[in-house]
Amino acid sequence: MSRKLVIDPVTRIEGHGKVTVHLDDNNKVIGARLHVVEFRGFEKFIQGHPYWEAPMLLQRICGICFVSHHLCGAKALDDMIGVGYSTGNSVTVAAEKIRRLGHYGQQLQSHVTAYFYLIAPEMLFGIDAPPEQRNVLGLVEANPDLVKRVVALRKWGQEVIVAVLGKRMHGISSIPGGVNNNLSIEARDRLLNGEDGLIGVDTVIEYAQDALAVFHDFHEKNREMVDSFGDVPALNMCLVGDDDNVDYYHGKMRIVDADKNIVQELDYHDYLDHFSEATEEWSYMKFPYLKALGREEGSVRVGPLARLNVTKSYEDSTPLAKAALERFHDYTKGKANNMTLHTNWARAIEILHSAEQIKNLLNDPDLQKTDLLLTPPKSDWTGEGVGVVEAPRGTLLHHYRADQEGNMTFCNLVVATTQNNTVMNRTVKSVAETFLNGNELITEGMMNAIEVGIRAYDPCLSCATHAMGQMPLVVSVFDASGKLVDERVR
Amino acid sequence: MNACADILKAQLADYNHESCLIYGIGNVGRQDDGLGWAFIDWLEDNNICPKADIARHYQLQLEHADLISHKQRVLFVDATKAPDVNDIRLEDVAPKMDFSFSSHAVSIPAIIATCQRCFDKYPKVQLLTMKGYEWELHIGLTKNATRNLNTAIDFFRKEGL
Repeated sequence: MSRKLVIDPVTRIEGHGKVTVHLDDNNKVIGARLHVVEFRGFEKFIQGHPYWEAPMLLQRICGICFVSHHLCGAKALDDMIGVGYSTGNSVTVAAEKIRRLGHYGQQLQSHVTAYFYLIAPEMLFGIDAPPEQRNVLGLVEANPDLVKRVVALRKWGQEVIVAVLGKRMHGISSIPGGVNNNLSIEARDRLLNGEDGLIGVDTVIEYAQDALAVFHDFHEKNREMVDSFGDVPALNMCLVGDDDNVDYYHGKMRIVDADKNIVQELDYHDYLDHFSEATEEWSYMKFPYLKALGREEGSVRVGPLARLNVTKSYEDSTPLAKAALERFHDYTKGKANNMTLHTNWARAIEILHSAEQIKNLLNDPDLQKTDLLLTPPKSDWTGEGVGVVEAPRGTLLHHYRADQEGNMTFCNLVVATTQNNTVMNRTVKSVAETFLNGNELITEGMMNAIEVGIRAYDPCLSCATHAMGQMPLVVSVFDASGKLVDERVR
Repeated sequence: MNACADILKAQLADYNHESCLIYGIGNVGRQDDGLGWAFIDWLEDNNICPKADIARHYQLQLEHADLISHKQRVLFVDATKAPDVNDIRLEDVAPKMDFSFSSHAVSIPAIIATCQRCFDKYPKVQLLTMKGYEWELHIGLTKNATRNLNTAIDFFRKEGL
């Protein structure tokens, strides 16, 4: 008898999604889908609010990547008041560097959370390890010294955020035309040198290298599984600068194919000319794609794996990350890397890159400058703005319009997880075929393999649909008639 | 009030020291989930335990194991939906690795257990919970939750500040 498997909700991700897998009479996978079942609302909530509230309100979509939303909104506001990139201008050098510092701090903290709290347990204990071991508290039991380093890393990243944004969560730093504070000497020295209970930046870089070593060790021991797990095609997209390297704060959108040929490059202010979004009745999350290539060929991957596929190199000022990136690039011999679990390799490299970039910025005297804000005349008001940054999970876009009184009339958010929707669904199907095909007995470990494939993207379904709600875990198995034949609750 | 509280020495004066932490958990934007922070507000408004570290946050994360490792005594204050709590409950909390971890929160026993495992020590921990009733997106406690907050305040006044 044909069957339908349901994983609802998928765990250790941000938000609420479920997976359905359809099996035929021979237990062959005939379909698999990631459904996002949260309700979207922030784009509507913000309408009617004063434009300057947008970066403050919209960052509350997420408790993880709020700095990215804050910065993205601030860049859009720069456009609106007439000092943004769309007007051929930009905020002051000091203001941009302050923004970048907060951005890297959040990237480090977010990636460490995803890498160690959500993903590492499977790397260290195995995909089919018992669920009570296969989580970060299992890590605490097995390797407390590693957890101490993880806690120290996250704490330090959090302190970078506090130093820039004034709060651990949902702080305010960026305002239209710049930032409201520079970095004090005391805050700089504390982050550089550490203090009692807080590590210094050199220790952060050391621990980041340890994090990368965890992946290399896992890869060495499980090469065949890691390389074959969810090897799915997609175009790759990220922001790049004039040096052809990824720029996490600003650049042009570049999309490359499997051979790393540029298939499209655009000013992100023109995104509506190039992207369209498909919808499906079974998910609240949309499916963006490049209009020129159509939905099947034109879907892109974003995030750590995509960025390292697109970027030519890293700056000389981040030598450790640059060397790690060269090893990553050498592995696929110049081709784009489509191996889903290598996203974790890319994420670990980005942790190291962020740490090195933060050190560079902390040593930059521009961060103590006081020319932080541009205040253009009212006549420069454009009333429309687009901001894009490379958030931890990938390319994030905010697009606002406001009326002459400055009240928001339009808001469109295209978040990284939405961009990854198609490739995540491809991954779910690929992993389901690998682990479930032909098996009469579906084990918990097999079901977890599908979640591992999704978690590699570190999806934020709350960002993608801006939801409310809690996350229980129920895994249900239905037969083709819809009858519940098995259910597990975690 | 639960019987457990009767046998606890719960004087807030015990927490009036730099080696102590009083930590409100919750979210004031979610109605009665703001109970923990409201209790902290009362402490600060009345200059109670000025020597203790006072903090508020939404949920607990593993970093809190590091935070409490530097303390001798910790009082967590939180709202609860527990059906066996009528108004308030004060209890000692022991370390227990209960595998409650999600990306958003870790339980207090698991935080203490993590502290014990990673730092080879842990503080004396008490938890004050106050019953909440509504958890929607509104600022402000319900009438019944406010009554429970006042019950907690009266309890500590009676025990000694």
